[in-house]
Amino acid sequence: MSLESLAEEVKKVLGGFAKEVAWRKGYLEVLVETANVVEAAEKLKSIGLDHVKSVTAVDYPKESKIRVTYHASSYSREDLMGVIVGLSVDLPRDNPEMPSLISVWDGSVEFQEREVYEFFGVSFKGHPDLRPLLLIQELAEKKVLRKDFIVKEESIYEGVPFKYD
Amino acid sequence: MVLDLILYIIAYPPLWQVLILGFAGSLAIAMVAIWFERKAAARVQRRIGPYWASPALGGFLNIIADMVRYVLQQLIIPGTVDRLVFYFAPIAAFTISILPVIFIPLSPKPEFWPVATMDYSLLIALALSTLPPLLVIAAGWSSNNKFAVIGSMRESYVITAYELVAVVSILSASASLLTFNLVYIVEAQQPFKWLAILNPIAFLAAILAVLMSTSAFPFEIPESEHEVVAGPFTEYSGALYAFNMGGAYVRRFVYALLIALVFLGGWAPYVPGPGPITGYIIPSLIVVFKAVIVVLFISFLRAVYGRYRLDQALGAAWRLAIPLAIIGFGWSLFLAYIGVFH
Amino acid sequence: MTSGGLEAGAQRIPGVTVKKIEKEVYEIFIGPQHPGSGHMRIIVRLDGDIIVEADPDIGYVHRTMEKLSEVREWLKPIPLLERMTIIDACNVTLPYVNALEKLMDKTPSTRASYLRVLLCEINRVASHLYGMGIFGVFIGHSTMYMWAFGDREVFVELAEVLTGARLTHTYPIPGGVRRDMPQDLPEMARRTVRYMRGRLEEYRKIFVDNPVIVKRLAGVGVISKSRAIELGVVGPNLRASGVKYDVRIAEPYEVYGELDFEIPVFEEGDALARTWVRVEEIKQSLNIIEQAVNWLETHKGEPVIAKEDFDKLPKLHKEVYEKEGRVKLVPAHATMKIPAGKAVARGEMGRGEIFYYVESDGGTTPYRVRVVTPSARNAIVFKHIVPGHTLMDLPAIYGSIDYFPPESDR
Repeated sequence: MSLESLAEEVKKVLGGFAKEVAWRKGYLEVLVETANVVEAAEKLKSIGLDHVKSVTAVDYPKESKIRVTYHASSYSREDLMGVIVGLSVDLPRDNPEMPSLISVWDGSVEFQEREVYEFFGVSFKGHPDLRPLLLIQELAEKKVLRKDFIVKEESIYEGVPFKYD
Repeated sequence: MVLDLILYIIAYPPLWQVLILGFAGSLAIAMVAIWFERKAAARVQRRIGPYWASPALGGFLNIIADMVRYVLQQLIIPGTVDRLVFYFAPIAAFTISILPVIFIPLSPKPEFWPVATMDYSLLIALALSTLPPLLVIAAGWSSNNKFAVIGSMRESYVITAYELVAVVSILSASASLLTFNLVYIVEAQQPFKWLAILNPIAFLAAILAVLMSTSAFPFEIPESEHEVVAGPFTEYSGALYAFNMGGAYVRRFVYALLIALVFLGGWAPYVPGPGPITGYIIPSLIVVFKAVIVVLFISFLRAVYGRYRLDQALGAAWRLAIPLAIIGFGWSLFLAYIGVFH
Repeated sequence: MTSGGLEAGAQRIPGVTVKKIEKEVYEIFIGPQHPGSGHMRIIVRLDGDIIVEADPDIGYVHRTMEKLSEVREWLKPIPLLERMTIIDACNVTLPYVNALEKLMDKTPSTRASYLRVLLCEINRVASHLYGMGIFGVFIGHSTMYMWAFGDREVFVELAEVLTGARLTHTYPIPGGVRRDMPQDLPEMARRTVRYMRGRLEEYRKIFVDNPVIVKRLAGVGVISKSRAIELGVVGPNLRASGVKYDVRIAEPYEVYGELDFEIPVFEEGDALARTWVRVEEIKQSLNIIEQAVNWLETHKGEPVIAKEDFDKLPKLHKEVYEKEGRVKLVPAHATMKIPAGKAVARGEMGRGEIFYYVESDGGTTPYRVRVVTPSARNAIVFKHIVPGHTLMDLPAIYGSIDYFPPESDR
């Protein structure tokens, strides 16, 4: 499938939902409103984008937003196998909350939404089992992948008192 | 007077056979079996196996070093176990595993028998050899560990499945010879009327039963490492663990001795003469040699097969081995009817 | 990990979940210190011998790869990301390099592409052998374990001759690879391929066609085609369920579009089919290795990094390249800046598809690196496919999906 016709098809199926459609390097990014994200995902699934490769979240502290992108692609339509469509939403940074897309994309987003939840603190409404996946609760509360969590370089002598004698 | 008493006690045939042949002998055989198992598997798997402990002996001392390590290892007893059973079960299982040796004649001469009469020896040896699995179940149950309990449950499933096969297939010899006396059974097979040749179906069923009862591959299910760690023995360490594992090898050896006598003709075709050398040593070496062949065959299967799933193993026992054993039993009756042994 | 159901007054232990379970259900914790778990834990709830619920509890080897990538200069995440799967080191970093190349609008030289493909396929065979070995020992077949690990060594050594390192090669760099192949590599590679073809026949005899193994695996852990798509399963597990999807075909990267190979697909979706897919894929990879070394032998002379980079090298560095076949980079490479943008790249690892999202804000370090590894996407299988099987099927399913915790936890 040529890239232009994919963009056309996605635009057509999404109708008014798409706020912004842009070609990035390697994928087509579609930005939608948080309120419309479930319907938009269902529409994308209806043209054959049947699974999600990655639930990617990026923190933009300057613009005070977190962008969550569902990189969806297809296993069942051969002409769509070679393309990736990113369905993005912008969430406010202080209270990020969005509906879970587990109802649309099933198991392929289940663990990855848990991952975004623990690393960015995005809470997915309607996720049946929203708890940290890789981290423990105490660490997850720090939302470690946000930009304001600074990785401090540790010296191997950290905490060892100096002795001058 | 005292010296005589001590000599009498030491030379008392049952004790002699239990201590020297039973304990030391089975231990030595178990060591050879373990060494062979590791060495043969290494050969198949393009490795060397035990080597550096004694290159000239093919690494045999490695096994002894392992045993010393087991004995000297710290014995860790978890606080949550049922202590009495936890200590008692492996020791009792090991002891009872050796006991059938008393009723196993290695010579036709009565003066070399450990007990005065061999009339019901096959029956008693079989009955004793079916006891230790119960103690293995007790060991797992007393450990108060989830994996041990699951292992015990599996062991109990497996013994109900193979017990009947073992008893029926080995007793088929009695059916064709109308005796439980192991000496008669062996003498009737002289020189080459071995039951393994005349009744291969019962022989096959007996081998299957031994595989299952001693957790050999492909039936290594109760101790299957990747699901239940070490099964009933998960909480055991040091010497107690060695008792558990050694018990399995000893049981395998005892079963192999029984199979050697019942199916492989015992000391046949050799006809024992008078005196201890021709009357006892040579025939017993022949029997042990045949038993070792069986043990080594069983050990070798490890390199070839994976393990069956529990339901498949039970299916193999109930659907394949039991009919085989019963057919073998019927064939034995037929052999008796046409009078092969008279 | 909520602390719901905690009794009042009970002390809360960090990282420990307290949960009430039904009385009839037997809960066992398989892992992380269990001979059959790897660096993960599966919380299994049993009703009798049947698994009613399996909850994969992963993250025991999480090494914050994504966060660490954000504080390193562009080239430095390559050796870092390799540590996810050191047995598949070229495949796991190649898409990252590809993403950088997309951002920089740089095309690697054809020779470099062939060298990358060659190493990727060597890695793929090694990875499959590793997986089959672990699988073998999980279902009690120690011979398969030893054979596969022994034969993997042959490919590890081939990779060592090519790159200088057994496992963590750090071979691809944006625009090319770090060194050219030595003269004797093609002959060695052909010998390796011949040897492995013979060995595969032996594998078939002792493992894949072994009656006990077949009985153990057939019909176990069946992932139907529709379920595989819903769960987003990847790699050989997906192809064993009848979906013909392989990134090398779907979106050919490097020179895969010019090579001649097939994608083995099986319809059954059970553990046995997954094993067969791996065996067949090893055969295809051997074909690709042969084609790649043939091409490399007949097309000499082109540098192994992009031409514009090579022309910019100082004279001394060019001499080093001529003499040793090794690319000596100028220090500016370490602190290079990459134009702002967002790029996505994917590749086919031994275990399946790996996905990278790389975002640059024009600085000297990545703004965001998102990596989704094949094992991370296959982990869901434990939760949705394992229930309904007996406990003894768990190692068979675990081994057959070739799950690798360090890769999954990143």
